[in-house]
Amino acid sequence: MNEVRRLLPGKQTSSSPISKERLVERGFDRALDYALALEPEEIISTVTKSGIKGRGGAAFPTGVKWSSVSKAEGSVKYVVMNADESELGTFKDRVLLEEDPLGALVGLVIGAHAVGAKKAYCYIRGEYREVEQTLARAIETLRHGGWVGPHGVEIEIRRGAGAYIAGEETALFNSIEGKRPEPRVKPPFPTTKGLWASPTLIQNVETLANVAILFAHDLHWFTAYGTQDTVGTKLVGLSGHIRRPGVYEVPFGTPMQEILDAPELGGTVSGSGRLGAVLLGGAAGTFLTPQEVKNTVLDYPSLGAIGASIGSGAIMVFDDTVNLEWVVTKLARFFAEESCGQCVPCRIGTKRILEMMETGELWTRTSDLRALGQAMKDASICGLGQTAPVALLSILERPELRHHA
Amino acid sequence: MDVQKSAMETTVAARLNDLVRERGQLLPALWRVMEEYRQLSPELLEAVSLFMDIPYAEVYGVASFYALFENASGNTPMYVCTDVMCALQGAESLKEAAKANLGTKVTVHESACLGQCDYAPAVWSGSHVLRRATADDVTAAVEAITHE
Ligand SMILES: Cc1cc2nc3c(=O)[nH]c(=O)nc-3n(C[C@H](O)[C@H](O)[C@H](O)COP(=O)(O)O)c2cc1C
Ligand code: SF4
Ligand code: FES
Repeated sequence: MNEVRRLLPGKQTSSSPISKERLVERGFDRALDYALALEPEEIISTVTKSGIKGRGGAAFPTGVKWSSVSKAEGSVKYVVMNADESELGTFKDRVLLEEDPLGALVGLVIGAHAVGAKKAYCYIRGEYREVEQTLARAIETLRHGGWVGPHGVEIEIRRGAGAYIAGEETALFNSIEGKRPEPRVKPPFPTTKGLWASPTLIQNVETLANVAILFAHDLHWFTAYGTQDTVGTKLVGLSGHIRRPGVYEVPFGTPMQEILDAPELGGTVSGSGRLGAVLLGGAAGTFLTPQEVKNTVLDYPSLGAIGASIGSGAIMVFDDTVNLEWVVTKLARFFAEESCGQCVPCRIGTKRILEMMETGELWTRTSDLRALGQAMKDASICGLGQTAPVALLSILERPELRHHA
Repeated sequence: MDVQKSAMETTVAARLNDLVRERGQLLPALWRVMEEYRQLSPELLEAVSLFMDIPYAEVYGVASFYALFENASGNTPMYVCTDVMCALQGAESLKEAAKANLGTKVTVHESACLGQCDYAPAVWSGSHVLRRATADDVTAAVEAITHE
């Protein structure tokens, strides 16, 4: 199957990404006029029927979230675009915002109308300075069109300052509120108590872009791609030992091997030319063996069957010369540094794991690592601590990935 | 000393003048000061604390959490990504190139993934990104900053 371009603008798209003309060329003006004339329940019903799942990692059904925020008690509500994107190997939101910033913003405006929010935030990582400027200009374009402002929704950009944990939704709220970006205990969930304890809809950039293209077309068009389980297309970020690193849009259900090999996608493994492993989903992702890559497709059930998930859409490719123990040691250092320190299993657990990796004990203390991993999964407050051991444990499940150099 | 301190307070206050003095504006306030001074020294945090009317300990607690606010030298920071995907593409040599060419105006920081792995190895100068950076690119960037 060829590369699909729906979330990403087609190659023939000629208008400037931040212009009024782009809104028209992509059908986003039509999407706004159509959606904003609908009753909120009608919007939410369409989003629910579309089957869109969150693209920030957890794949939570988007329509369900919109419905919860819409029904939640409270006169003040917020919507938030999560563009913190600080996960290893993940750059799809950056590319999406560079190439088509209006899409995600249109999704944000539609979301605000659906849940009854007057104020929206775009939280973008501090290192994306140039993207932030593009985003600001795109917001101005929507302001001129009357969609953003006192009569629509106010959108404010918030710039992060280098904290991976700030991408976790409740930590992100604390960051916007001017507090330390430490995650909150859930429940309460953001849908009832988010920003300033008000019901808050928070979505990933790519999720919002899906909403925009859905309303620029219709359900029939939107559901033309994908699998029974998951409708639509997914942005994947290919990096590492691959000839054509970059972001590609593929339908759910595309074979993993094809993503690596197709001439218009990855264009085959580089480096030694022989695949050693793929790390799928980010720093807390799962290592896949070449055999697993051959046998799976990009979809939740197929990957779930081998203990993996799509995560952020990061596909990190390693040739057969890379010592994966070096990789997991770097991941361990990252988590130890980025743990906010609020809860013990994560604060101590990430340090212990790092120590064991630095002393080369990955293959000698497997039962200790498994027990520690379980404790962190069970007892950490947030996803960072819960998933920090995932990549490492996935190697232990795959002894063929052990390096014998 | 006191005179100097009040001068700093005055300039910081001028820089923050149009911000609403509420807790939710603390992060934007810190960014503004950071952009002006390239550091958040205790004196600068004190000035922010006074202007925003937020206790110093709170301001410090927030500012010290974020990696991009760590730049005690006040030099122009240069962030060399040494995370996995950039390391595979020779980030180590970029780090060395950056350090070998240190002017008095540049401080090199190692960074986790910058979100530019499709252009690895990547370096971020605080305003723009050097993509598929070579040692020569880094040297040129350090020199450009030094001669600014
Ligand atoms: C440590 C950590 C970091 C996260 N970083 C991001 C991020 O950078 N971007 C993002 O969209 N979601 C991130 N998430 C997930 C968010 O908490 C949240 O689930 C997401 O923004 C919801 O949007 P979605 O339903 O559209 O995926 C992170 C979660 C954790 C635990
Ligand atoms: S799991 Fe880790 S990052 Fe999350 S709240 Fe606990 S200490 Fe902080
Ligand atoms: S690892 Fe360097 S930019 Fe991602």
